[in-house]
Amino acid sequence: MPQSPTDKNDRPPAQPLSLNEISRYSRHLLIPEIGVGGQTRLKGSSVLIVGAGGLGSPAAMYLAAAGTGRIGIADADVVDLTNLQRQLLHDTSDVGRQKVDSAAATLRAINPEIIIETHPVRLTSRNTAEILKRYDVVIDGSDNFPTRYLLNDAAFFLGKPLIYGSVFRFEGQISLFHPKSGGPCYRCLFPEPPPPGLVPGCSEGGVLGVLPGVIGTLQALEAVKFITGTGTSLAGRMLVFDGLGMSFRELALTPDPACPLCGAAPSVHDLIDYDDFCGLSPGGLQGGGRDSITVESLKERIDRGEKPFILDVREPAEFDICNLGGMLVPQRDLPLRVSGLNRTAEIVVVCKMGERSARAAEFLRSAGFTNVKNLAGGIDAWRERIDPTLPVY
Amino acid sequence: MIRVALPHHLRELAGVGPEVSLEIGPAVTQRTVLDALEARYPMLAGTIRDHTTLQRRPFLRFFACGTDYSLAGPDEPLPAAVAAGREPFMVIGAIAGG
Repeated sequence: MPQSPTDKNDRPPAQPLSLNEISRYSRHLLIPEIGVGGQTRLKGSSVLIVGAGGLGSPAAMYLAAAGTGRIGIADADVVDLTNLQRQLLHDTSDVGRQKVDSAAATLRAINPEIIIETHPVRLTSRNTAEILKRYDVVIDGSDNFPTRYLLNDAAFFLGKPLIYGSVFRFEGQISLFHPKSGGPCYRCLFPEPPPPGLVPGCSEGGVLGVLPGVIGTLQALEAVKFITGTGTSLAGRMLVFDGLGMSFRELALTPDPACPLCGAAPSVHDLIDYDDFCGLSPGGLQGGGRDSITVESLKERIDRGEKPFILDVREPAEFDICNLGGMLVPQRDLPLRVSGLNRTAEIVVVCKMGERSARAAEFLRSAGFTNVKNLAGGIDAWRERIDPTLPVY
Repeated sequence: MIRVALPHHLRELAGVGPEVSLEIGPAVTQRTVLDALEARYPMLAGTIRDHTTLQRRPFLRFFACGTDYSLAGPDEPLPAAVAAGREPFMVIGAIAGG
């Protein structure tokens, strides 16, 4: 099993502590595994946290409190009311504020001794390497597959350790990807992402607010261990946390010799178009897929007195929050209930964001339905552009 | 009885909880476990393995007793603890929430 970290040259340079810092970090200094040596390395270190959300909040707050010398926060979003159930970097007064600004204010309040840098941009193949190369460690607190593959590839090319965490409902995963240390990369684990809409994200499937607190905190711990050279890292291992059963499972991971990035004969030699890789390019499912209808077109038709049959393929809990008055058949139940639908009538398929409904529409077409349309952007687009009184979820 | 742990999206598709129990023959391998799983829950056919090639989907991995069996042969025996039902055969899926 790879130990942490294997190459002393990966460790940041030590920086001497002031009297004030000796007091602030005294509980660290008393731990033999950290001590003055570890704390000075923390002070000399830099960590980039991608995503100022559920995972990024505890990770950033603990790393700031721990005395990480320079912390970068990358996030292009603004604070939304739906974030506050779990994203402790932000409070109610921050709604509408740029997340990186809110995060920076919180972190500076926790520890004014450290440097906070903000990157209010969406990471892309063009800007990611420039940002990542300025930091010693990268923490993945993102919420989508394109960014996860982008960070994995960029961190690999730059030789940076990537501390991976992800959550869904009551479950979390955490690992350290650093092929330089002998472990696998994210692509070794999952060479391809799931098709869009197949695996719901937290915005569609939900997440218990405490859950990213557990995983994000462990990401911070893993960063502290890596920087100080303490303990055994998660390289080559993944922890899977089950909040309902309250258990951790440790799973051994091995590098894939056929990995397209870090394997023996790699085919990925540079950063690519990750939206395209994940099936999210324009014209793909997120754009509505084929035979889609816009929310404006649907509204015009309803206003003209037409009554298109609306098939809502979300989960019952989502339907209960808000709906367009359609018939509820969750996507997973569609194969069993397809016989009850009219194969020649027009069907407008609806979900939250337009991805699940695009897949459901494709399924119906393959089952012989001849007039199926997907509502592009789903309920979210309807609320944004037609009816702002619908609740946000 | 063999225990199989499934990721969320497959639990919902099959309408089951975190684990399912299956009765299978004496040979406990990835192939026999997944064949039995798909026979019991036909809606899972094609979701874990490709319909035609029976290759594992690239966004899923197989684990048993903490060991990664994703790259092992489909007819390689699984650990005795899995065969005895003391440990689950785990299908772990990629998730992206943050």
